[in-house]
This record gives sequence, structure tokens and C-alpha cells, in this order.
Amino acid sequence: MATLTDRYVDATLRGVPQAKRADIERELRASIADAIDARADSGDSSADAEVAVLTELGDPARLAAGYADRPLYLIGPELFLDYVRLLRVLLVVIVPIASVAVLIAQLVKDGPTFDHIGTVVGTAVTTALHVAFWTTLSFAVLERLPAGERPVTGRWTPDRLPEVRESGRTGIGELIGETLWVAAVVTALLLAPRLSPEQDAAGDPINILHPWLWESGFVYLLIGLLVVGLVAPFTSYAVGRWTAARAVGAAVFEVAAPIALIWLAATDRIINPAFAAEVAWPSDMAKWINISVIVVGVIGIGGALVKAVRRAIRR
Amino acid sequence: MDEEDLVAGHLQELRRGTVVLACLLILRRPNYGYALLDLLERGGFAVDANTLYPLLRRLEKQGLLRSDWNTDESRPRKFYETSAEGSKLADLLGRDWDDLTTAIRTLRDNP
Repeated sequence: MATLTDRYVDATLRGVPQAKRADIERELRASIADAIDARADSGDSSADAEVAVLTELGDPARLAAGYADRPLYLIGPELFLDYVRLLRVLLVVIVPIASVAVLIAQLVKDGPTFDHIGTVVGTAVTTALHVAFWTTLSFAVLERLPAGERPVTGRWTPDRLPEVRESGRTGIGELIGETLWVAAVVTALLLAPRLSPEQDAAGDPINILHPWLWESGFVYLLIGLLVVGLVAPFTSYAVGRWTAARAVGAAVFEVAAPIALIWLAATDRIINPAFAAEVAWPSDMAKWINISVIVVGVIGIGGALVKAVRRAIRR
Repeated sequence: MDEEDLVAGHLQELRRGTVVLACLLILRRPNYGYALLDLLERGGFAVDANTLYPLLRRLEKQGLLRSDWNTDESRPRKFYETSAEGSKLADLLGRDWDDLTTAIRTLRDNP
């Protein structure tokens, strides 16, 4: 039967290059035997001595890494900052592009359904996972190349310092977030007439939203207002500095869409009564939806005003 | 982290480089892994076996140590000996150690 020492030596050699194994085995066995003898001489039973010596030597994988000169970490301090920076850029660029591309492909395909939202979200999550995994794997491999072969981004110099961030300036992340949000809402509005869980007797989808929006063309005005609302963050990102006039102008653009929404809710033009009847909503359901929309609209206006005041003060 | 760990951490940091110098000095007379470990421990250089054994091979690869299998006894052992290059490095590290000692003493005596 294999002794503890046999098992220990075998476990260590598994992590050592083939060419070095014989020599390391011979030396390691001698060292372990010497240590056991020394303990036995001072009174331990040989079984106890073996356990104590092997315990002191510790995890054989760690010892093997020492022999093979392998790092015991995935990505070391030299590459870690490059890794984090690259990962951040790749995520911010690739995930939105992939999501939008899939969304467009879905819309071009035959009649849209609710599945499309799931497909887009699924694509975003899968893409993010792939980007994170492959970037991490590449850097883990780089870490294990001989030092000279590493493509490093070069020595840091003060030239690489970023500009001081101006307070109140919109960051690229915030800009992408707001743009994606508006794109999602506009897409939902455009799809609403065809995208519905309920069908009428003829098999056509019943729009959740009030048909007046399409009869009057108001929905296009609403879309226009939403897109115009993006002028503020884009200006903020591009210009970076605010003046009192710019802050007021941005606020006007930002409150336009919420005001339109509040007006629609107040005049009961949000929910299609035919849809409410089809899904047998309680009679005051539409009223509560209108109230919620008004509350959200008021919060939106309040937020825009607070932002405007801050921008005007901090310019 | 309590105070004991803090002190132990700083002590370990301070002693980290001294093991190599101690090995190069001890191995001016050929010796094998376990005996060296024992000598280092007696000399007050606490080093773990799983650090020392790979370290000896690294120093040999760098040309600072030479090794030879001794098969005269019933248990064959790998004996290491400091090479000429290793002796030169030991002299250099030793001088640096003396300089540091002087520098630290100067700092201590002139508050």
C-alpha cells in the first residue's frame, strides 16, 4: 500500500515538468525521510512524525508551483490595471453594439413578438459573459508567458493623465445609458400596435396604448420629444461646460416629454379601453395607471429642474 | 489584523531577502536540503521547507549554486555548494548588508 509520503511525492510531481521529475522525486524523498528521522529521534512515533513533516510541507500543489516557478495567482499586479481597463472598454463598446444589432435583426424579421425583448436581453448577458471570459483567459495566459514576451502597454508617464473631470459633465457611460433607454422606449412605442399579448376576434393584436395616439399622430410628437430630450446629455458630454442659458435650454428639452405624458394621462389617453376590456381589468385599473404616469412625469420634471439648477450653479 | 500579525508581517518583510544570503554563506561548505533547513533554523532564519527546496533549485539554475549527488551513504542526497559566482554575489550582498546596518545605526543614533 502506498504510504502518505508516496502519495505526497506523487501529488507534487504531477505539477512539475516531466524532465525534472526524477531528480525532484529523489531529492524530495530524501528530504522528507531526513525530516521524519529527525522527528523520530526526538521521540515521535514514525507515523506521527510522517504526518507532522508532511503537514509542515503543506499543500503539494503549492510546492510544485515553487519547483515549476508558476505564479499562484490568475493575473498579477503588473498586468492587472491593463486587464481592468481593457475589460471595461470592451464591455462598454461591444455589449451595446451586439444588443442593438440583434434588436435590428429581430425587427427586420417577420412580425415582432414579446420574445424579442428576451432575445435582446439574453444577447447582452451572453455577450458580456463572453467578453469577460475571453479577456480574463487571455490575460491569464499572458501572465504565464516569459516576462520578455509580454506586450505591455508601456511605461506610465504623466502625459497619460486624464483631464480633470468637470463637475456636472455627463460621462460616456451615462450618455450610452440614456441613449439606450430612449431607444428602448421609442422602439416599444413603434411596436405597440403590433406587439400585444391579446388578439381581437379577427386575430389582429389589440394595442395596449390608446388608439387616439395613432389616429392623431401624437405618438410621433411624443417620440420626437423623447429624442429631443437627448439633446441635453449630448450637449453636456460634448461641451462639458454649462452656462445659465444652456442649463435652462436643456431643462426645457428634458421636461417636454414628461409634460406631454402628464397631459395624456390627465385626459385618459394612455390605455386602450378595448385592451382593458379584453383582459378584464378592474374598472379603476386605468385610473391607477394614469395616476402612476402622472407621478412618474412629475418626478421627471422635478429631476430635470434640480439638474438645471445644479448645472447653472456649478458652471 | 491584530498587532501580533502586524509585527509578524513587517518582520517577515524585513527578513525576506536574508535567506538567500544565508544560504550562499552556509553552502560555502557543501550540504544537503534538510541539513541546510536545520542550520538556517538554528541560525534564526525562519524559512519553510516548501520555500527553501524550490529556492535551492532556482539558485542552482541561476548558476549561484552547484549540485552533486552523494551516493556514498544508504540514503542518496543532493549536495549543494556555492559556486564562484555565488561567492561573488554573497560578498556583494554582505557588503550591502553592512552598509544598511551602518545606515540604520546612524538613523538610530541621530534622532
